[in-house]
Amino acid sequence: MTGREGPDGRTLVRSLGELPQSIEPPRDLWPTIEARLGGIEAPAPAATVAQSIGRRRSARLRWLAAAAMIASVALGVWIGRSLLPLPGAVPGARSPASAANDTSAVTGAPTALDAAYVADPRYERQRAELLRSLQTRLAALPPASRAKVMASLETIQRAKEDLERALGRDPGNALLQELLVNTYQDEMRVLTDVREASDTGKGI
Amino acid sequence: MRSALWLSLLLPALCASAVVCAASDKVFDRTVAAQPRGVVDISNVSGKIDVKGWDRPEVSVHAELDDDVERVDVASEGSHTTIKVVLPSHSHGGEARLHVQIPKDSELNVSAVSADVTASGVLGAQHLSAVSGEVTAELMGGDAEAKTVSGDIKLKGHGQAVRLRVSTVSGDVHVDHGAGDFEASTVSGALVVSLDSARAVRAHSTSGDLRFEGKLTRGATFEASSVSGDLNVRASTEGGYEYEASSFSGDISDCFDVKSERTGKYMPGSRLQGTRGEGAGHVRLKTMSGDIQLCDRS
Repeated sequence: MTGREGPDGRTLVRSLGELPQSIEPPRDLWPTIEARLGGIEAPAPAATVAQSIGRRRSARLRWLAAAAMIASVALGVWIGRSLLPLPGAVPGARSPASAANDTSAVTGAPTALDAAYVADPRYERQRAELLRSLQTRLAALPPASRAKVMASLETIQRAKEDLERALGRDPGNALLQELLVNTYQDEMRVLTDVREASDTGKGI
Repeated sequence: MRSALWLSLLLPALCASAVVCAASDKVFDRTVAAQPRGVVDISNVSGKIDVKGWDRPEVSVHAELDDDVERVDVASEGSHTTIKVVLPSHSHGGEARLHVQIPKDSELNVSAVSADVTASGVLGAQHLSAVSGEVTAELMGGDAEAKTVSGDIKLKGHGQAVRLRVSTVSGDVHVDHGAGDFEASTVSGALVVSLDSARAVRAHSTSGDLRFEGKLTRGATFEASSVSGDLNVRASTEGGYEYEASSFSGDISDCFDVKSERTGKYMPGSRLQGTRGEGAGHVRLKTMSGDIQLCDRS
């Protein structure tokens, strides 16, 4: 060290070459480090860490695959039970004459899609009540109106079936879902209108 | 020659029988005092209800009644006047043809089964309903609601903004020169609507077609949907509008030279969207299998 001294008495360095190659610590630090490491498990080698991550990832994938399988089986069962015709059932095999007497022809039996989209118990109760009295209410209407209302209810039923069929092909279609809800609302409106109309003749 | 002789004898006989038949109708007339802005309720099962607004604070009823009709009750209490055609119990066949004049600012409530309803010159709110009867009314500035099951509805306005609600099951709806807010729903009836200036339009049909023509106010909203009915909309507005038309399996066309695009690669469905002018208003048209036509020119 050939440097000169500064005003505070410390040696000034003019180039890197003047610095020492190594500086020994003022005390031996290893005993403190060793004591601290004593309570901690020795770190695993890098290869072992990678294997462990891989195992966890593959276990997660297996669970995901199992969940996806269960979901697809459930979806298949739901589609099979709700959208596909029952074995032996012939769709639309109803004579016009029987349809005229049977109001179920125009109101339809509830399907799984009914349950999926219209699960409100109050709605179900009101609809069932209106359907129970439909035949009597229709009988109170003028014959021409009765025929037109029956035709309109058939139109609604067909619309519901068409929408449900389309939704079976494209279950996530928001447009179809909205139109189906509108059609359910239309059905309720017609049933309510028929009830009010049949009451009208009894006195307003 | 002989046939001419028979005809000359038969004709007077026929005319005489017609006079006798006409004479067999009962005639009812009554006038009661009413408040200028009161409420008038009228009900009749079959025949006709014709209501006109006038300047007098009175309700006048003139009725021609079939023999099957028991009586007509007219009662006035406070601001409320009620006119009711009463049929004998277990009878639904008697016709009554009512001609009623009410103070022009009255609120009018009419209820009919197969009777046709007409209302004109009434400035107050109108609530008109029938089952199979036809409803025809003049829109004079008061809000109006018309409702039928199978009867047609015909409304004619003079461009004053009102709130207008119509609904039918299978009846057709015709609206001319309406304005303001319009709401319509039908199952299988046709909606033919012409509005001079509409603020908000909402129309829904199951299988009936909608045909709309008219002007929208700046920033107006127009929403129409159907399951299988066609939607033909010619709506113009100063501020323009954002439009979106979607159909699952129907065709979409417009007069803007914009092509609709498919919504999915493997599923049916198309959508047309864009902006006309400043895009101040909103037009949304939706259908499952109906066709859509949209234009901003009449």
